[in-house]
Amino acid sequence: MSAQQARTAPPRRPHDPPPRVGSAISFMRRLREGLDAGLELPEALGRSAAALPREGADVVRLAVKRLEGDYTDDEWGYDEGFVDIVEPLFGFLYDRWWRVQAEGVRRVPSHGRALLVANHAGILPWDATMMAMALLREHPLPRHPRFLVLDWAFELPWASTSIRRLGGVVASPYNALRLLEQDELVAVFPEGAKGTGKHFRDRYRLQRFGRGGFVELALRTGAPIVPVAVVGSEEIYPKLGEIPALARLIGAPFFPVTPTFPWLGPLGAVPLPSKWRIEFCDPIETAGYPPGAVDDRALVFELSERVRETVQQAVYANLVKRGSAFV
Amino acid sequence: MPGRRVLITGVGSHLGAELAARLERDAGVELVAGLDTRSPRIGLERTQLIEADIRNPVIARLIPPLEVDTVVHNQIVRQPGGGLSPQAMHDVNVIGSLQLLAALEKAPSVRTIIVRGSAGIYGAEPHAPQFFTEEMTRLFPLRSRFQRDVAEIENYFETYSRRHPDVVCTMLRYQPAIGPGVDSQITRYLSLPACPTYLGFDPRIQVVHERDGLDALAAAVARPVRGAVNVASPGTIGLGRMIRVARRPPLPLAGPAFGPVTSAARRAGMAPLSEDFRRLLRYGRGVDTTRLVREVGFTPSFSTEAAVHDWAGIRAGTVVRPPARAAA
Repeated sequence: MSAQQARTAPPRRPHDPPPRVGSAISFMRRLREGLDAGLELPEALGRSAAALPREGADVVRLAVKRLEGDYTDDEWGYDEGFVDIVEPLFGFLYDRWWRVQAEGVRRVPSHGRALLVANHAGILPWDATMMAMALLREHPLPRHPRFLVLDWAFELPWASTSIRRLGGVVASPYNALRLLEQDELVAVFPEGAKGTGKHFRDRYRLQRFGRGGFVELALRTGAPIVPVAVVGSEEIYPKLGEIPALARLIGAPFFPVTPTFPWLGPLGAVPLPSKWRIEFCDPIETAGYPPGAVDDRALVFELSERVRETVQQAVYANLVKRGSAFV
Repeated sequence: MPGRRVLITGVGSHLGAELAARLERDAGVELVAGLDTRSPRIGLERTQLIEADIRNPVIARLIPPLEVDTVVHNQIVRQPGGGLSPQAMHDVNVIGSLQLLAALEKAPSVRTIIVRGSAGIYGAEPHAPQFFTEEMTRLFPLRSRFQRDVAEIENYFETYSRRHPDVVCTMLRYQPAIGPGVDSQITRYLSLPACPTYLGFDPRIQVVHERDGLDALAAAVARPVRGAVNVASPGTIGLGRMIRVARRPPLPLAGPAFGPVTSAARRAGMAPLSEDFRRLLRYGRGVDTTRLVREVGFTPSFSTEAAVHDWAGIRAGTVVRPPARAAA
């Protein structure tokens, strides 16, 4: 704990006193009594939740509602109830683990369609979830962004389900188009697989922005583009090498080797506690272009390059502001 | 002005019979003819029933004298079972469609063809867009037998309509149907003692309520459009939630165990799950219904979620509704 960290640490929100061991025991006792009395599991859980401190009780109650099938999700599978349940975990990652500092959150439009374009690293979309947390916590009108996820994640069990519940969709231009037409906030990572798979020594050097497909989407729907720089995400899984044979075996774009993965097995998926900064830059309006602008390759590339340049500059600036990577 | 003359193939199926009954009550329809080897389960008053097998070339002699102007091709079998082997199912679907088109070559009075096809042509893919629009049939390879059959049928009708520019041919792509009257793969699945699912997968499923399916077919007869149109109840529902709504216990199976367990269950007399359906249980599928709403002018009255709730409620006896015919 250095003095510098104390200065830069985000303002902590007041939180509950640590749950006492006693409450957990009392929870288990009530649960067992309930089950012995012949109650169904959901009802027994719900009744014994009273023994837990407030936050824990809320989570248990939400989980119970879901066990009974009483929850709503939209046509994309985005499920606000699930987001509420994992919020404490993400909140922990946001406040303590990565000590995220967000800047310029107010530049994100509070309603209507918009396209967030960010740099990307790491095989799991932690950067997308932290962007979502920044918007949920610090935006005056919190809104949850939908994000496009590299499609092979949807072949994996569990990953596909939870990504979808958190607002992720298959990275397909059709999905992005439909979401924007529904006036959603959509986050894209145009570096794609090249970004997730880059070597640790290339961190924060933005890769090519594909063919500028995201610009076409923005032009077609008239959505403003908000460049976003995420600093910190590129240290959580420092990729030192890869094993192409294993990647081919499981059909993944690459199989990373990091200081902890695959040596520690599933524990290797625990991200390193780097320090994060997220900056939302000034939006670039696209509504003013004529209808035929989508087919103007030169314009598309120019805009794409402008966004890339903005993100890259913001990444450098935030790297300087952040100082050391981990403390 | 003389009324319309309509031929319905597969009139013995639930949807075929209901459509015939509805057209019978329509004063603008002069003749309703039904082709099938099975007899309809509901009483039809003035439908002229033709008992013939659609695979048999004899239909080329039976259809032209009817002088129909509209053909509703409803005899596409979606699931194995019910006395049809996979081979026979392929024959009914592909050879049957070919025989029908051969017969129509000799029936110059035809102006409109409505095919009740399947959204199965899109497949079920992990990388698929959440909602297929009509032009997305070529995004992925055709994987299953049924998918290839549907693609072949669509191809025949496309070729036919290219050669006959005066005939309007509508290809309706139906999502799996659900409802108290239908016996579909999905209703059979949800009636199993336990519903096998892929461990770790919760795909987005989309269905069409039988009443919306019937109304969409009737709407297409009234206002045919050229080309393909998706038919579905809007929205999607997670498979896990659908099973919960149907009050069935889910049976999560790890990927490699799924095939052996379900085929053992089939040998024990349970409903078989086709290859398409297994992929659907893993990856799900949704379609976009904009064209149905804007061009055919039909807006489904159920969402997918409401359709599942309705079906489960009727089965459990908690929802009571007059039958679709009385309501229409």
